[in-house]
Amino acid sequence: MSDYDVIIIGAGHNGLVAANYLAKAGRKVAVLEKKSDVGGAAVSEEFAPGFKASTCAGGAGYLSQTVIKELKLVEHGLAIEPRDAVAFVPQPNGSHLTVWRDTERTVGEIAKFSTSDAEAYPRFLAALRPMAEAVRGLLEITPPDLPQVGWSDFPSARTMAGPMRKLGRKNFNQFLKTLPMPSADLLQEWFESDVLMGAIAASAVRDITWGPRESGTAYTLLYNWALSNTGLFRSSGGMRGGMGAITGAIATAARSAGVEILTDCAVANIVLEAGRATGVRLGNGETLSAATIVSSADPRTTFTELLDPGLLDLSVVRNVRNIKYRGSAAKIHLALGALPEFTALAGDKDTSPLEGTIQIAPNMMYIQRAYDCTKYGDYSPHPYLDIEIPTLTDPDLAPSGQHVMSITAKYAPYQLRNGSWEGHREAFVDAVLSTLGEYAPKLRDSILHKEVLLPGDLEARFGLPEGNGSHGEMTLDQFLHMRPLPGYAQYKAPVEGLYLCGAGAHPGGGVTGLPGHNAAREILKHAK
Amino acid sequence: MSEQYDAIIIGGGHNGLTCAAYLAKAGRKVLVLERRHLVGGAAVTEEIYPGFKFTVCSYVVSLLRPEVIRELELAKHGLHIMPLLSSFAPMENGDYLLTHPDDSSNYHELRRHSKRDAEMFPLFNQMMYEMAHAVKPILATVPPDPSAPGLRGLRDLNYLRKHVQGMSKKSFHCLTKLMTMSVSDFLDEWFETDILKSLMALNGIIGTMLGPKSPGTAYVLLHHYMGELDGAFTAWGAQQGGTGGVSEAIASAARSHGAEIRCNAHVEQVLVKNGTAVGVVLENGDEITSKVVASGCDPTVTFRKLLEEKELPDDLVSAIDNFKYRGSSGKVNLALDGLPRFSALGDDASAQCMAEICPNMDYLERAYDDAVYGGFSKRPFMDVEMPTANDPTMAPPGKHVMSIFVQYANYALDPYETRDAQRDAFGNAVIDTLADFVPNIKDLILHKQVLTPWDIEQRVGLTEGNIFQGELTLDQLFFFRPAPGYSDYRTPVKNYYQCGSGTHPGGGITAGPGRLGALEILRDGNV
Repeated sequence: MSDYDVIIIGAGHNGLVAANYLAKAGRKVAVLEKKSDVGGAAVSEEFAPGFKASTCAGGAGYLSQTVIKELKLVEHGLAIEPRDAVAFVPQPNGSHLTVWRDTERTVGEIAKFSTSDAEAYPRFLAALRPMAEAVRGLLEITPPDLPQVGWSDFPSARTMAGPMRKLGRKNFNQFLKTLPMPSADLLQEWFESDVLMGAIAASAVRDITWGPRESGTAYTLLYNWALSNTGLFRSSGGMRGGMGAITGAIATAARSAGVEILTDCAVANIVLEAGRATGVRLGNGETLSAATIVSSADPRTTFTELLDPGLLDLSVVRNVRNIKYRGSAAKIHLALGALPEFTALAGDKDTSPLEGTIQIAPNMMYIQRAYDCTKYGDYSPHPYLDIEIPTLTDPDLAPSGQHVMSITAKYAPYQLRNGSWEGHREAFVDAVLSTLGEYAPKLRDSILHKEVLLPGDLEARFGLPEGNGSHGEMTLDQFLHMRPLPGYAQYKAPVEGLYLCGAGAHPGGGVTGLPGHNAAREILKHAK
Repeated sequence: MSEQYDAIIIGGGHNGLTCAAYLAKAGRKVLVLERRHLVGGAAVTEEIYPGFKFTVCSYVVSLLRPEVIRELELAKHGLHIMPLLSSFAPMENGDYLLTHPDDSSNYHELRRHSKRDAEMFPLFNQMMYEMAHAVKPILATVPPDPSAPGLRGLRDLNYLRKHVQGMSKKSFHCLTKLMTMSVSDFLDEWFETDILKSLMALNGIIGTMLGPKSPGTAYVLLHHYMGELDGAFTAWGAQQGGTGGVSEAIASAARSHGAEIRCNAHVEQVLVKNGTAVGVVLENGDEITSKVVASGCDPTVTFRKLLEEKELPDDLVSAIDNFKYRGSSGKVNLALDGLPRFSALGDDASAQCMAEICPNMDYLERAYDDAVYGGFSKRPFMDVEMPTANDPTMAPPGKHVMSIFVQYANYALDPYETRDAQRDAFGNAVIDTLADFVPNIKDLILHKQVLTPWDIEQRVGLTEGNIFQGELTLDQLFFFRPAPGYSDYRTPVKNYYQCGSGTHPGGGITAGPGRLGALEILRDGNV
């Protein structure tokens, strides 16, 4: 008799979501977390006395509405508050473009840069929204085991039927054509202002190592759009307490469904008996058994650390080795003595434009150039920065009157080609702060404390190989039937009794909960 | 009194000629109208400098569909392709990589660089051979409209589905990777030797405004593996007398079936009456009528220049206006006073017929970066072919011609420089870079012809100088080429057809679009 029906390794948001679904279906579930807190990469931590930041994952507004509803997360304390501002994009010349949730208001902003783009923007939204809906359908399916498609694929394909019908004939063609496109090409079909295109393209490359000129980034744009809480290409808003509060609510729901969450409980390896996963061995040597083991860790960690790769099929090991992780963003958290003043808002007391994301990406080609450096193993001297100041709406995260600024700085490759990061850490941080200084000149003077997490630091601290938050790049070659491993995209691992439910599985990264949601469905289908 | 033809073909490029040959062979009265003084379009041989024959634009042959060679009996009409057996790639450290036609010499050469790669190489080729086989039936399929495929489209799609489902999972996964990855990432999964990877990556970037690290380039590599010479996949060859000879052979086949080919005949517009094409108007005002008209020109010329906008639905107009060309390649043709010597090879001239200046992967990527924001590569990638090494008839005795295909040059020029100044600077960058590898080159040059993408557009009529009549990116292939719903060689204008490389299966000297276009015209039975 096993200790549990299901053991889930890792209490990140996907592990917790899967645990919820499995417990609600009557399974006896344990979630094992090596840290003392749940949340995985979606946590809020104190990085300086009195200052708290969402250390790793950001982007509160992407949690799947399906998951929120089905798990009744709002009843368990989830409260993601929307903001009016989506993206604030300051320009070096002191002007700025703010994207608001409200279309009319955004049109007014765009008109400062191009009247024809202002006119095109509502049409762009109307044309792309049905495509984003169709992508949302796609994200909830279990990928078919292409090239074989069987009857078993029909139930999950049903989630696609509605949005596809809504697309209509001409748009269906356009949808197929758009998925593999570069976001730059897609945007250039609609707009002329490089400023507006940069404001939108930033969302396409937020979680990927590429620049907007690379094909497949139209898909990542639609991916974010499909899940965003604004109905736009980028989400906005957050929950009081930061990302950790979101995973906290999912954990609360899990506990109330009967899930046992064991923290400070590191799994050393998965136990195999006659080729079948039957339990886990903990760091302290103790063994826990279960009929089904689910790993929310990424595939590289799962197949080469939690399992002995020598026991796996050679082609599986090769495919694991070929997964492209390539983290390319650093996280920098600043404790600030005062709210930074952006030149572009000079004199304006209204700070509401800053409540969404502040994007230091003045135009689309700027982002592309920032990316170019990584091709040669270098960091960007003029990085693209994605910034949140959560204390504007959640003052409890810092001492009174003081602020937290969380910067996602791109591009910073996992490894520098010439020399180790240690010799370049300061120079990189300096490049980030200098770049930011061009838009908020007095910022440096108000920095009380900073925490810098390079991709290597994120790897060490959050178990994200190469610092990639998506457990593997969200590229078209690692999409659908290829994710996480070609031939094993249906959440079932190449080891009997083992499943994957992390972001390495379809549909991928972001705090969406969908890999956990989809994996639970497959587990319940197979493991009685 | 105007003449009456069954079919008029606009443009005497190799696809237009192929279309004409198939229609003539089927007994139709065909007229080909070519703007220039000679046929061939981008596949021409011209004597630019006395005694020296230049393959002005395209220069090697590999992709010519075997069914076209067979069905048009091109060998009888002068097609004679000499295989190019070796590629030579000098490195910056003085070493080089020289590929050989036979596996054993190849193994020994690769082994000098890496034992592992030497062992992987035949496996890689085997895999690519299988992949090329897997997609082969697609090349001969008329792409349906994905949202409204119709009965025939459904039948074709079902056939392709069965074909694809017949693939092993492993092959299908590999095909997925080829369709989506960058050529650099794809090769990284197989090889470790940088020079080998950069030599192979070339076929992934040729003709595109993409670098080896841009996703989508692995497909372009596969596209270039679909060539067949005498049944051997991937082989490259050169036509005796230059690639113009290929066009001449197709033209000769067309004429033998009664097609009429008129040069110096510039078509200005397609004559449309009540939504039906009835002939063409020439630049000089002459009108020639026919039952059907087919254009071998690129989609922009076919739809936006030869037709009035009112004849077209809005979705097609916007799709064509958004069609990506982005010509990225230029050409430098040299008449040489003697034999150029590559410093890496010493006095061994045997391998000099095909040299690739691509000393490492970063070099290629940087060459792309130079051009992508405007301008051209300061140190470009060059595909250097010296046809006179194989075919002495191209130049006077003891002299040589060198045909240099160059990437990258952006079609959009620096607005502050004149075209002439930029062409000179581009030509100088090419010669200066080449001189690093061929020290005596500058002393040998008798004549230099430099073509930027803009020049190619002016000369041959290819929009933005794109040699494939439109980029070979995923969103512009198969049923998206040139636009979804218009990929079956027909157009919204009745009796007006497409038969150029802007349609499936795309660019290169394949003759595929010309053949498929002709077969669709015949299928409609309006002629």
